[in-house]
Amino acid sequence: MLIRELIEESASKFADIKAVKWLEKKDIKERSYKELGENVVLIRKGLKAEGFTNKHIAFVGESSVFWIECFIGVITGSNVSVPLDFGLPTEDLVDLINRSDSEGLFVSLKKKGAIKDILENCPKIKKIWILSDKDDKALDAISKELDGVDGFNEKIEMYSELKKSGVDSEDDSAPTAEKLATIMFTSGTTGKSKGVMLSQENFATNVEAVAYGREPGLIMMSVLPIHHAFSLVMDWFNGLSKGASICINDSLMHMTRNMGIYKPQIMLMVPLMIETIYKQIRAIDESVPKAMVKVKIFGENLDTIFTGGAHLDPFYIEKFKEYGIDIYEGYGMSECSPVISANMPEAHKAGSIGKPVSNAEIKFENGEILVRGTSVMQGYYNMPEETSETLKDGWLHTGDKGYMDEDGFLFINGRVKNLIILSNGENVSPEEIENKLGLTPLVGEIIITGENNGLVAHIFPDRDYAQVKGLSEEDIATELQKIIDEYDSTQPSYKKIVSIVVRKNPFIKNSTRKIKRQEVLVDEPQ
Amino acid sequence: MSKEMEFKTIVAQYANVNAEDITNDMKFREDLGFTSLDFMSFLGELEDTFDVELEEENAEGVYTIGDALELLEKLS
Repeated sequence: MLIRELIEESASKFADIKAVKWLEKKDIKERSYKELGENVVLIRKGLKAEGFTNKHIAFVGESSVFWIECFIGVITGSNVSVPLDFGLPTEDLVDLINRSDSEGLFVSLKKKGAIKDILENCPKIKKIWILSDKDDKALDAISKELDGVDGFNEKIEMYSELKKSGVDSEDDSAPTAEKLATIMFTSGTTGKSKGVMLSQENFATNVEAVAYGREPGLIMMSVLPIHHAFSLVMDWFNGLSKGASICINDSLMHMTRNMGIYKPQIMLMVPLMIETIYKQIRAIDESVPKAMVKVKIFGENLDTIFTGGAHLDPFYIEKFKEYGIDIYEGYGMSECSPVISANMPEAHKAGSIGKPVSNAEIKFENGEILVRGTSVMQGYYNMPEETSETLKDGWLHTGDKGYMDEDGFLFINGRVKNLIILSNGENVSPEEIENKLGLTPLVGEIIITGENNGLVAHIFPDRDYAQVKGLSEEDIATELQKIIDEYDSTQPSYKKIVSIVVRKNPFIKNSTRKIKRQEVLVDEPQ
Repeated sequence: MSKEMEFKTIVAQYANVNAEDITNDMKFREDLGFTSLDFMSFLGELEDTFDVELEEENAEGVYTIGDALELLEKLS
C-alpha cells in the first residue's frame, strides 16, 4: 500500500480520532484524521491548479501539522518533496534548493528571514507557501522582511490560499510504486551533502516492515526533526497507519514538560535524549518511589522508546526498564528509507541493533554491512559517481562494519567511511567543515573530531602567516577562537565546534601527504 | 534555599558535581560537560522552576554559569 492509499484508508477508518496534536502557547490544538485527509487532498489539488505537477518542492520548517499535511500533499501526487534541515545556514539552504532543482518551497514563519535570500538566489523557485494559518500576522511579518524586493507578492502565498486553490479543482494523478517521492539530503563523506532519492515503494515498504501491533488512539510524541527519514517513517507514516495521535514537541527545551502534558505511550528518540533524561532521573533522591519518578519525568504512560541514529549503551536499557519502559534500538540510514534492522517487542537483544527488517537482505563484505531490498534508494540525485560507489549490483554499501550472531541479531563494530556520528544521531562530515575553515589564512592544517558529543577542531596555525601579521601565541589562540565563533554563529547546533586544540606541530602524514586521522592526537615534532 | 543555590542544584544534576562546588566562571560545555541537549533541557527546567519564559535565542551568548544567572535575573 503506497502512502496515498495509506492516508486515504486512515482518514476513513480513524476519521474522528485525533491524528495530530500541537501546542499554541499553552493550548492544545488538534486535527482529526478526517480533517487531515481532507487538507491533504486540497493541497494536492491546489498544487496542480497552480501548475505544480512533476515538480520538485522543498520544505524548510520545524515539525508542524502544516508541514506534514503539505508534505503528504506533495508526495501523494506527481510532485517530489525535498525536505531540508531548517537549522542549516541560509547559504546552504540556497545551495540545496538549487541542487535539487526545486521550483516550489514550503517555509515556516520561523525561517522567514531566509526568504529574501532564497528569492534572490534560487532562480527556479516560482512559488513560496508559508506554513502557517495565521494569515494576516504572517503576511505582515514577511512583508517587512521583503521590503524592497520586487514582485515578491506574486510568489508568496499562504497555506490557506493553497488549499483554496484546491477547492473544485482536478486531483493530481496517483504515483506509481517506482516513482521518485523524495530527495533527502545526507552528509557526504566527500564534504558535499548528497540527495538520497527515495521512491514511493521505498517509503511504503519500510513503513510496512517496521509495523508493530498497537491499537488506534495510541499516543505518540514526536521529538525528532521531521525532515529526517527516521522521524518521517517511524513517527509519522507508521503512526498515521495505525490511527495514532501524534503529538508535536514544540521545543527540545520542553521535552519533559510536554511528556507530562501529552502523556505519550511511545516515543522515538536518539541516544542523546535518553542520556539527558537519565541525568534527570539520576538526580532524584533514591527514596522517591519509581512510579512517582515515572510520572514526573515521563508523563505516566510511556512504555516504549524506539531509538536509532547512533549507538546506545545497553546500560540505559536496563535503567529505563526499572520504570517500566522498554527501549528498542534499531539501525538505519536515509539511503534505506531508513530502517535496516530493529529490536522489536517480540524479538530483542540488548547491545544489538536488532534483526534485519523483513524487506532487507543483509550480507557482509570485508566486514562491511551490505543491504539489498525494496527500501534501498534509487541513487543520489545528479551524482552518478557517488551512486556507483555506494550501490553495486543492487547492494547498498552502508559504510558500517558489523556481524550477525547465531540468533540472527545484527551488531555494529566500526565504520569504513570517515563520518562522525554524534549521539543525537546527526552525521557530520569532518571534511565539509575542514574544507570551509581551511580557507582561512591563519588555519594551516585542520582536523575535526567528535569527542564527548561535540566537535573539536585540531588546528595547526599557519606559522608564516602569523609571523607576517606579528601574532604572538596568545594572539593566535584568540584569532582562531574568533574564526570558530564566527563559523559557529551560522551553524545548526550539531555542526558547532565546541572546543579548539591549537597544535604546536603539523599533523602526521602518510606517504601521499594525507593527514593520518587515527593519529591526530599525537603532537610531536616530525 | 536561595535562588542561586536552587539554580545550581539544577545545573548539578546534568554535571554530576555538587551544587556547592559550582562557581560562576564555570563554562557549561567545557567545564561541566553539558551536551547541547542537556543545555536545552536545563533551560526548560529554569522556566518551570523560576516561572520565566525563555526563547532558544535567549541562550545565545550564554557560556558560563554567571552568564545564565545574569539572564535569569534579567527575565525575572
